Amino acid sequence: MLNPAAWQQPPRMPYNLPMESTSPRRPSRTLIILVAVAVLAAVLFSIVPGNLFTWLWEQLNLFATVFLGIFVEAVPYLLLGTLASGLVEIFLDREQMARLIPRGSLGSALAGAVLGLVFPVCECGVIPLTRRLFSKGLPLPAGVAFLMAAPVFNPIVIFSTASAFGWGRMLLWRLGLTLVIAVVVGLIFSVEKDAGKVLKMATPILNPNPIQKTSLPFTEKMRRALVIAADEFFEMGRYLIVGAMLAAAMQTFIPQSALLSIGSGPLLSVLVMLALAFVLSICSTVDAFVALGFVGSFSFGSILSFLVFGPMVDIKSIMMYRQVFKPRAVIYLVLLPLLMSLLSGLVFNYLLP
Amino acid sequence: MKRPLTLDTLAIGLALVLAAAIGLVILLGGQMGVRAAADLPEGRLVGPYQVITLTFSEPVDPELTAALWTLQPQVDGLIDWPNPRTLRFTPSRPFSLDTDYELTLRPGAVTPGGREIERAQTWTVRVREPLAVVLRSVNGDSGLWAVDLDGNTSHRLTSESVKVISYDAARSGDYLVYCSANEQGGIDLWRVSRAGGDDALLLDCGRDRCTAPAISPDGARVAYSREAAGPGPDLPYGSPRIWMLDIANGQNGPVYADQQVIGYGPSWSPDGARLASFDGLSDQLRILDLTNSEQFIFSSETGDTVTWSPDGAFFLFTDMLQDENGLRTQVRRADLTLNKTDVLIGLNDRRDYSYGSLAWSPLGDRVVLGLRVADDKPGESLWLFDPVVLEGPMIANADGVTYNAPVWNPWGTALLFQQFKLRGEYVPEVSLWSVGDVEPRLLTEGLMPRWLP
Repeated sequence: MLNPAAWQQPPRMPYNLPMESTSPRRPSRTLIILVAVAVLAAVLFSIVPGNLFTWLWEQLNLFATVFLGIFVEAVPYLLLGTLASGLVEIFLDREQMARLIPRGSLGSALAGAVLGLVFPVCECGVIPLTRRLFSKGLPLPAGVAFLMAAPVFNPIVIFSTASAFGWGRMLLWRLGLTLVIAVVVGLIFSVEKDAGKVLKMATPILNPNPIQKTSLPFTEKMRRALVIAADEFFEMGRYLIVGAMLAAAMQTFIPQSALLSIGSGPLLSVLVMLALAFVLSICSTVDAFVALGFVGSFSFGSILSFLVFGPMVDIKSIMMYRQVFKPRAVIYLVLLPLLMSLLSGLVFNYLLP
Repeated sequence: MKRPLTLDTLAIGLALVLAAAIGLVILLGGQMGVRAAADLPEGRLVGPYQVITLTFSEPVDPELTAALWTLQPQVDGLIDWPNPRTLRFTPSRPFSLDTDYELTLRPGAVTPGGREIERAQTWTVRVREPLAVVLRSVNGDSGLWAVDLDGNTSHRLTSESVKVISYDAARSGDYLVYCSANEQGGIDLWRVSRAGGDDALLLDCGRDRCTAPAISPDGARVAYSREAAGPGPDLPYGSPRIWMLDIANGQNGPVYADQQVIGYGPSWSPDGARLASFDGLSDQLRILDLTNSEQFIFSSETGDTVTWSPDGAFFLFTDMLQDENGLRTQVRRADLTLNKTDVLIGLNDRRDYSYGSLAWSPLGDRVVLGLRVADDKPGESLWLFDPVVLEGPMIANADGVTYNAPVWNPWGTALLFQQFKLRGEYVPEVSLWSVGDVEPRLLTEGLMPRWLP
């Protein structure tokens, strides 16, 4: 995995993350957009019939409620993830990382899949943390497996799933399938020897970090960790907002009842639950309680696929994946868990007792 | 030259393999049809009121499915659908002992789209041997013990660290609820399973006293008497009131919103629709119909627990009458359909027989009644009679012994009751009487017997 070119890059300050920079927005453009929105709203207000306006107003209220629901639920976990990221940046050095993670593809993917037990983050927090770990030299298969598995394979989610479904079949299959899917996707990515081809980073991932080499006082290290966390929180938070808005829009205009009414047969039930997992964008720490509401109406296999797929892929996480991975990799990160979750749900629905 | 594997090749290849596997599963699964699983205990040994649940692999049509479902020998009961995938059968009469019941699901279409159950499925269940539960005092600590009906083997159900005050056993025989004092001076409700040793706090009552638990026939709720602690440690407890705890969701609250309504000794009708309790302040039996909140009030001077007819339309209770001959007890029958009572026993008595300890058989054809047969016999005897003709034999009438607290088994074929010798060592005992027996058989030491079917 060592890329000699990486060492030729100039060292960067830790809080300047090695990623593509975004150009600052000019106030004039913002002003133009605001004026355009105001004009559009005025035009709509004047031309649409009263009942349509009432409907739109209700939809807007619903959208705002759903958006705030998703955002408020996810934001603490994003904060935790970015805090962990900041701490990793300051306190974990490359040598330690190299010692911790096995070098072989399978060992590396397995280690990444269970790393969530050490870093209990959900799907919002895992993305900035994974990006940071990549910058610390985390091998690609380990990082991908961590990204896939950590939102489920962590103590908080294990306990929340057990609270909802008990220490039994659902919990075991959720953990088992998540582990298998994470390791398989990690192994698939292990064939890519040049991480730069899949990771969306301006600088290579093995960028040496000067901060650990210095002997700064603990308080200063913590201050820097917090600065990094704050920077990253605001940076990833933008994508969380966009993702949450998209998810809220989907839920507003494609109501849950419409999805549920599509069908509950062995195939359709899995497809519906996968679609729900994608659209609802619920944090993995609470999704088991939502899934519990579907017990009885939906089969074990379809609920299991909801619980396995949702933490790996949903609207807001795709928005955030796009900041870490190149589009081709994002497609695989969505497609492979989707197909594996669908297959496992169908196996349970059709073949297993 | 061999091309090295790339991420694209591998990812797309895997996606294609997964897509093919999905197609194969759909193809194979389509041929397997709809499947069903029965939720039954290990060994298929069930309680007499075992609720049988069939869960289907996908939502099914209730009418189509009910036509394919049979239970042999037939048992009266209710079929309902908690959700489109689950059929639930709740027996209204107990499954018989020593009988194998076959639950069969025949092949046929069960969904509106024509999906079928491809193969017949059969499950066999058999009712387990019932046990008796008694309260025993060992070294000053009272605990619950399960005893087999031979009286040969017994095992302690409750932990040695708890002291049981009163209890009730679920009609299903799966668990018991008991009361035990806590460190704050109050009394809590606890739950323990049929196997025992897994005591779990059901309701922390703090300084309040929660006593006389009565488990609803469906096992979902517990009615109990609750005395609120006084505002200070030395201040007296309030009057008892009837509260209800939902076991599944922990919802807990007084049955009567009116704080003036007091009561103790809750008793469920066999269908679980009505709840009786005694208001000692106004000497009234109060019956609440939980389905429509209708209340029935009958006066009673004794405060004894009522006994219900199998259909829940009648109940028997004791009352006292004061006339020129003095104070006499009577057995009254309440008809909830007509909202009136009449004297069943004791209308023309010339002396007081101290009627008490009523137990109406689940079959409805027999009632057990405790009474003092003669003035010179201080003990209470047990009389078994037909409630229509008011005739029957004495089943427990030994000299120097008093009998009470009779309870029928779910089949109405056997009776447990407690007995005390009036002279000599005070050792409470529990006896068993079965239909056809001339005399009861001493079962074990203990008191407050219950069936654990």
